[in-house]
Amino acid sequence: MSNVIERSSDWFERYLVPPLGALASSPYLQAVRDAFIIFTLPLIIAGSVFLIVANPPIPALADLLKPYQNAILVPFNLSFGLMALFLAFGVAYSLAQYYRTEPVQPGILSMVIFLVACMPVRDLTNLTLGEVLPYLGGQGLFVAILTGFLSTEVMYRFRRSRFTIRLPKTVPPNVKRAFEALVPTLLLLTVVWLLEWFVSSHMMIDSAGQVHQLTIPSLLMQVFQPLVVVQDSYPAALLEIILMMLLWSVGIHGMNIVTAMAAPFWLITLNNNVHGGHGIVTEPFYHIFAHLGGSGATWPLVIYMLRSRSSQLRTVGRVALGPAIFNINEPVTFGVPMALNPIMMIPFIGVPMLIVTVNYLAFSLGLVHVPIIQQPFTVPIGISGFIATGGDFRGSLLQVFDLALSALIYYPFFKAWERILIAREESAEQEGRQSASQAAMVQQVAR
Amino acid sequence: MLRVLIVCSWGMSTSLLVESMLTAASARKCELTVEALSAGEYAGKVEACDVVLIAPQIRHLRKSIEKLAALASKPVAMIEPFHYATMNGEAVLEQVLRMYSA
Repeated sequence: MSNVIERSSDWFERYLVPPLGALASSPYLQAVRDAFIIFTLPLIIAGSVFLIVANPPIPALADLLKPYQNAILVPFNLSFGLMALFLAFGVAYSLAQYYRTEPVQPGILSMVIFLVACMPVRDLTNLTLGEVLPYLGGQGLFVAILTGFLSTEVMYRFRRSRFTIRLPKTVPPNVKRAFEALVPTLLLLTVVWLLEWFVSSHMMIDSAGQVHQLTIPSLLMQVFQPLVVVQDSYPAALLEIILMMLLWSVGIHGMNIVTAMAAPFWLITLNNNVHGGHGIVTEPFYHIFAHLGGSGATWPLVIYMLRSRSSQLRTVGRVALGPAIFNINEPVTFGVPMALNPIMMIPFIGVPMLIVTVNYLAFSLGLVHVPIIQQPFTVPIGISGFIATGGDFRGSLLQVFDLALSALIYYPFFKAWERILIAREESAEQEGRQSASQAAMVQQVAR
Repeated sequence: MLRVLIVCSWGMSTSLLVESMLTAASARKCELTVEALSAGEYAGKVEACDVVLIAPQIRHLRKSIEKLAALASKPVAMIEPFHYATMNGEAVLEQVLRMYSA
């Protein structure tokens, strides 16, 4: 049995790790992921606090605050609501860090060309904020990622090439840097402005029958709209959870990598929910409702381990308990271990798939309010389900139900793995005793 | 003063290991600083450390991290997954000291 386990984990190491690792180490994916986590997540979470205050779950309080709702939403609109603008900076900045080149200048350039891409080319003095605000937030995420890539790529190439303004060696480095940025800035500004001019000379009729000038983000949203719809579906959710758990099964941070690809879609869907939509597949759908106690819904395993007869599992259980409360499970993943363990991999992928299925049904049947609030994934289960749904206690009940499912399915696999570990520990102990008695015999003979 | 740089994913779970390493170090009266940074942030800090460690969940980035550490001629190694899982600061500190003296 042990032999089979070792051979299959060798197989995973040889055939599964390289392609998944290659996917995970793409600098573009990492830059997008870092940008979301470092630059936009704090804005999303802080902004959501005002969203909760503006829409409290208690009806009496909600009526009381109704007249002030728009005032309370100002900080929300200028943080959460402008996330694409800051994402544009973050993507360029993070990518520049991967290229090990100065990151702030490409970051600023990216913000500038993002703004140019969002504004219809016309007299800007009669443009209302309401006209462009959606595109500086949820609707502009794709453009923000593209401008981020573009400005860092272009600036990086210019910095390494001969096409920069050369200054004498006596010029201070800061002054030199400012001049170096001039050529790529002028170039990108011109190109994006001309492109935007061309796009915004066309008109678009929205669902309310009003005529608007097209902009690059509104055009791109038309193109991506089918994808957004497809991503918010059960097959897509299943595909995403399988990819996440497949990556974790070989010990690579799965949530991280899938986030890099799916985060714009999750945020657009969440943003639609904030404005009354019924989308399901969002960040909280995974972090809050699927990864209970950490990726793979491993909370129940911690309880099993605490009472295990295997000393390895007991040790891991004791370490894993504290982190599990805050949905961190690296101790479980690398300690049981789940990664590269053919027995535990089955429920490690299967349990989250089942939970995603159950939750998708619960949300789409309207049994639980769809997620509207994104919060840190470290908020403990029970509280987090209530907050994520904007104050629906059935969100917490769903989490508890999912936990019970997880406990049930993990149990037989856990027992099978525990038996193997106990056998290993016993044989190791026997060998220890044998070698001790052999040593004693040798000593006697020597005497 | 021994300066350790741990490259990890989000720094959430690694912060627990850092805590445990510092406790182990102070028990041995060994002066130690540990910084845990994500794969996007660590590059600038390699020069200013003595030992580079890689957390198990980002081992797909191992080659690029090793290359960078080699350029700065700093010793670099993976953290043993089981030590990482059990937040065994003592064992990881042991590993750091071995790497540093080698």
